Amino acid sequence: MMEDVVLHHRLEGSDGLSDLIATTEKLLEPFPCRPPPVFTPWFSDSSARRPPPIRPAKCAPVINAADVKCRPEALKEGVGGTTNSPSVVDKKSASVAAMAVKRSWSVLASKSVRHRSPSLSKGFRHALSVHALHLRQRSKWVISQHNCGAVRDIEQVWQALSKAARRAGLPTCNANIQREHAEIWVFCDVAYSEQVGHFLKERLQLVGSIRLHVHKLGDVFRL
Amino acid sequence: MTTLTRQDLNFGQVVADILCEFLEVAIHLILYVREVYPSGIFQKRKKYNVPVQMSCHPELNQYIQDTLHCIKPLIEKNDAEKVVVVIMDKEHHPVERFVFEISQPPLLSISSDTLLSHVEQLLRAFILKISVCDAVLNNNPPECSFTVLVHTRNSAMRNMEKVQVIKDFPWIVADEQEVHMQEPRLIPLKTLTSDIVKMQLYVEERAQKM
Repeated sequence: MMEDVVLHHRLEGSDGLSDLIATTEKLLEPFPCRPPPVFTPWFSDSSARRPPPIRPAKCAPVINAADVKCRPEALKEGVGGTTNSPSVVDKKSASVAAMAVKRSWSVLASKSVRHRSPSLSKGFRHALSVHALHLRQRSKWVISQHNCGAVRDIEQVWQALSKAARRAGLPTCNANIQREHAEIWVFCDVAYSEQVGHFLKERLQLVGSIRLHVHKLGDVFRL
Repeated sequence: MTTLTRQDLNFGQVVADILCEFLEVAIHLILYVREVYPSGIFQKRKKYNVPVQMSCHPELNQYIQDTLHCIKPLIEKNDAEKVVVVIMDKEHHPVERFVFEISQPPLLSISSDTLLSHVEQLLRAFILKISVCDAVLNNNPPECSFTVLVHTRNSAMRNMEKVQVIKDFPWIVADEQEVHMQEPRLIPLKTLTSDIVKMQLYVEERAQKM
């Protein structure tokens, strides 16, 4: 709704006034409105005219976190482990199987175990002094196929070691199986290496002597 | 420098090989980053000289391989316009769509350098973008699944014959509800322009996911 408009002007003749009124009326006319043109997309392929997409009829497999926890070996050995094809595997056998296929493990010894310095034999002390070894230096026991005896192979010894290590909590140890060399390498600090070596020989019932190897020095001790 | 046209025997195959290899890596990574599957089934690998996560679940791997094996002939013939990795909620409504728009030039000039180093660098950038895309996306609801949609340039039914290359892996036209997303948010991730392929990746994300 338009309010009254007051026009102020100078009295300089009636001709000028009529012009002013005409101009003012024009100015007060509403602006012409142009309807906007219909939007036409500049791209030719409107989605309405595109063919619908295609997809595989089969749904993607559903895998729950619980399945993954229960059957870690399935992921590596190519066995399906989905909820669509569940299988009953008890947790104990699954964890043993997982240990068997695992290539390496490490033990974080408790502080109480670590602070107890083991007693060292005279022969081992001699080896330490000859090679100038530091007690915190890393060393590795090498278990070869010939240490396993005639009735066992390196895989069986590895399984036995993995099981035993879980209970024993071998201090400062980590181990791995070198399948291409048919060897098991058990790494530990020099301080604990004699203790670990005895444990390996007794618990795994190894035959012959096992070698203690130190990087750059080679074999420094045999047990 | 060798100049090849699309009619040349091996050109389409070369592009399809490169793209399918890339899409395989990208799909695995998307599934990992967007937590469609438990992280326990993924292992760290190296591809395009960057670390990526690949599933080690045989059934999932087979599914992805079969899907890409079927898509390959479409890419080879330049019939695939978009490959879309759709992440769906438990009601099978899309929550995210990773759209790979692919375009191949009709005339190409390629050399071994072009293929091996330059394209690899460009694809690496895509992978890096995907690996950090969770920073710009909202969390997905639990129990999500995924599917792969292929938008073709020509009739879907005609292309259906091309993708049925594996006997036990049939393809169907996608349902409307799998394609359309309500109020999507568009997040451009990366574009690629090379002598052999042009590609852009963007994500369409549903505004209300939960």
